[in-house]
Amino acid sequence: MTIEMNSGKDCARAWEIMPWALQATAAPGQREWLMHHLAQCEACSAEFAQQSRLRCALSLPTDVPVDAERGLKRLLERIDAPGAEAAPARRWSSGRLTRALAAAVVLQAIGIGALGVRLWSDQAPQYRTLSRPALLEPAGALRVVPATGMTLADWNKLLHDLGLRVIDGPNDAGAYAVVPAESASSSASALRKLRADRGIRLAEPVDNTP
Amino acid sequence: MNEPSSDVDTRDRMLLQRMAAGDRAALETLYRAYHGGLTRFLSRLTRRADLIEEIVNDCFWIAWRKADSFHGDSRVSTWIMGIAYRCGLKALRQRGDEPVDDYALREGHGPSHDPDEDRELRDWLGEGLKHLSADQRIVVELVYGVGNSLDEVAAIMQAPVGTVKARLFHARIKLRNVLPALAGDAPAQRENRS
Repeated sequence: MTIEMNSGKDCARAWEIMPWALQATAAPGQREWLMHHLAQCEACSAEFAQQSRLRCALSLPTDVPVDAERGLKRLLERIDAPGAEAAPARRWSSGRLTRALAAAVVLQAIGIGALGVRLWSDQAPQYRTLSRPALLEPAGALRVVPATGMTLADWNKLLHDLGLRVIDGPNDAGAYAVVPAESASSSASALRKLRADRGIRLAEPVDNTP
Repeated sequence: MNEPSSDVDTRDRMLLQRMAAGDRAALETLYRAYHGGLTRFLSRLTRRADLIEEIVNDCFWIAWRKADSFHGDSRVSTWIMGIAYRCGLKALRQRGDEPVDDYALREGHGPSHDPDEDRELRDWLGEGLKHLSADQRIVVELVYGVGNSLDEVAAIMQAPVGTVKARLFHARIKLRNVLPALAGDAPAQRENRS
């Protein structure tokens, strides 16, 4: 979009100055230059006359009827309404309110986090993975190392016959921790039978005491 | 407000200080001082009188609550106009109104048979403003009607000065193209005739 005026740069300069000359905020030198230009340029003179008329029209009071006193009365009623504080100085600004709410959220987050940590530490899972450190074996537990050639079927049959169940292992040495399925009193008998079995390389009681 | 001066701004700053201390009389004085200008300013966004009253009151509700946060970075009038502008946009958004459509539909200015010169000027202006976007109407109002600088308009509209300058430029181009035809005859001829 270009400004089609007669004298190029001068007209463009006049166009720029016009609003501020009408506001009386243009520098005195600019206004003087503009008046001189308008005296010589019919197009800019017509444009300036139109802008003067535009300013005059825009300065008229609005024709939309809005009653100031009625509006003021409603505003004061709104200020006096329950829940609206009377004096600005005593009010919390929205900024302070926002900061207070943010602080409350942070405190809640910290509380929830602390509670989570507490619950996590209190509730050990009902399962364990083989990568976790070995548990302390219960009384009567036996440490057993099957022979290399022992099949899984033989191992399962032996455990079944002796009433044992695996509670841990194998560890790095290939040892399993087993306990009697019924009672601790049978662990000594189970130990003897395990040691007598050719498929078992090592069988010994687990001693948890240091 | 149409003729801003340091005296007016000094008066307004004192009123704001009193408002910050809870002085309702100061609020009433400021409200009455700005009502006319704000109403005209907001009428460039919407022609609904009830909505304009609501926006003016929202504006002064905020001014009452935030009077103590005015630090004097701008003139009081610029601060209040900025609040009113944002309240106006918010009110229109909440109602799903488009300022442009609202203005164009409700303006309803046809050729006036009212011999009053003011009425004729309003008709001429109303027809011309129909060709502008809401943002362009606001810029034209603030520059020509209120007498704000580009920096002040930018502060009110919270827009870069370059954007304001472009809006003013395009508004002036549109008005330059439509207003002479709407006038029917040249202003000079009208003055000679009267």
